[in-house]
Amino acid sequence: MTGQLNPAEAPIIEVLNLSHAFTARGHTVPVFQDISMSIRRGEFLSVLGPSGCGKSTLLQIIAGLLPSMSGRVLFEGQQVTGPPPEMVYLFQQYNKSLLPWRSVLGNVSFAMEGKTWTRSQRAERGMEYLRIVGLDDFADHYPWQLSGGMQQRVAIARALAAEPKVLLMDEPFSAVDALTRLELQTLVLKIWAQSGLTVVLVTHDVDEAVFMADRVAMLSRRPAVMDRIVETGLPRPRDAVVTRETPRFLELRHQLLDTLLHRDPVGADA
Amino acid sequence: MRKLGRAWPSLVTCLVIVAIWQVASDREVVNPALLPPPSRVFPLLWEMIASGAVLAPLAHTLGYLAAGYALGCAVGISLGVLMGVNHHVFNIFEPLVELIRPIPKPALIPPLFLFLGIGTTTKLTVIALATFFPVLLNTIQGVRGVEPVAVNTARTLGHSTIATIVKVVLPGALPLILVGMRVALGLALILVILAEMLVDAKGLGYQIIDLQRSFGITEMFAWIMILAVIGVLLNAAFEWFERLAVPWRAK
Ligand SMILES: Nc1ncnc2c1ncn2[C@@H]1O[C@H](COP(=O)(O)OP(=O)(O)OP(=O)(O)O)[C@@H](O)[C@H]1O
Ligand SMILES: [Mg+2]
Repeated sequence: MTGQLNPAEAPIIEVLNLSHAFTARGHTVPVFQDISMSIRRGEFLSVLGPSGCGKSTLLQIIAGLLPSMSGRVLFEGQQVTGPPPEMVYLFQQYNKSLLPWRSVLGNVSFAMEGKTWTRSQRAERGMEYLRIVGLDDFADHYPWQLSGGMQQRVAIARALAAEPKVLLMDEPFSAVDALTRLELQTLVLKIWAQSGLTVVLVTHDVDEAVFMADRVAMLSRRPAVMDRIVETGLPRPRDAVVTRETPRFLELRHQLLDTLLHRDPVGADA
Repeated sequence: MRKLGRAWPSLVTCLVIVAIWQVASDREVVNPALLPPPSRVFPLLWEMIASGAVLAPLAHTLGYLAAGYALGCAVGISLGVLMGVNHHVFNIFEPLVELIRPIPKPALIPPLFLFLGIGTTTKLTVIALATFFPVLLNTIQGVRGVEPVAVNTARTLGHSTIATIVKVVLPGALPLILVGMRVALGLALILVILAEMLVDAKGLGYQIIDLQRSFGITEMFAWIMILAVIGVLLNAAFEWFERLAVPWRAK
């Protein structure tokens, strides 16, 4: 799949010189500075960086959920000023993003309301998406009756039901147990491979970033700048066990972890 | 069965109180002309119920209560949502709200007489006003407490502002809105009775004040008992409604 991507094709998203700062008690604290990157159509991109470096902020600006302070985001050539319908942001806090007064199916249908679907079409398609994440038997349950991993799967099904071109995932697996996390990673990779989606995954887990992605964009410590973007070059389909034992995986993991842990501030040892 | 099991201590308390009341009246600890014993109040109460004499005043009072309460809730929730969502609207209305809110609502009855006349308009207005404030304040708080992640999820899924308010903000604020509505219900009941004592010639409040003036003391107490039962029933109905409306709150 990766091989078929043509990097020369116009990028689906362009991040141009984004800088952001927060003001707290009169102090302006820079979060990241002058971040630029191009996201290729159909690629799986991981954004890696230490905690607090502004990964969520960056992703929310890309999603049009937060206005940019300086710099621009282009989605298919158009400047992003509000949430574009074809980009969906998947929150880390699935327990807060699901609506507790709606059933699992009702939550998935939520992504299709306000569009042209009829009620029965929504229900039918909702069931299809629940089948994809393996939760069709739980359509009538309520979110609070499900485990954390199941709730995140509902949120994924809901995001897919919006039929986006781009899925922006903010640490989607950080609140579930280790085993569920591996299962969800494989599930998301499977969905991505079958759908042609462009996925941007934010994480501070080096292992996850490398395992999932075509490319890993690495941010430095706060105030963050773009450290580098590396191609993983790992073959697909990836296997939760085998891929992690390949020399290339270990090499990337070593490099990136080493940078995250030891090189500080970035650029000092260039 | 279990419900009955939990209810019986309260039942015993009631019986004990009635017994003390009876003894106090029999032994003339209190003047039985001023506090007639239950042995006289209850048969009269039964007679009023059996003959249907309670119906007209009861319907009158509950009708106004429902109308004023519904009006106060509707305005309170609507303005509360607007004030909670938009800080400009909040800044515009907040001084007005803070000015009127601390005034005990019965104090507004006399000035309302001047503007609206001594009649049902005043009565409705004062019930609606008493309902309005707790509903408004709780709605604002409820709207502000709505999970931002849920609101942003609606936005990223392409919902308009209106759709987001209807589908996420309102249901999210509902638990607190209901808290306000419950407080408001108690206040509305107080105000409807008070207003009837002052401005009406019908209804439970009028019956009670009229019987007191004409020394129909036994019958007055019968009406007060009816009022007590109404209060309990309204509260129970509200609790039932609350469980129905926000089932996810149980978790
Ligand atoms: N609304 C806000 N007001 C002030 N400061 C904020 C706000 N939101 C985030 N910040 C600060 O901006 C910085 C970046 O936050 P952000 O959540 O984007 O980081 P992150 O890289 O996603 O961190 P994590 O890995 O912990 O999720 C943090 O240091 C945070 O304290
Ligand atoms: Mg974050």
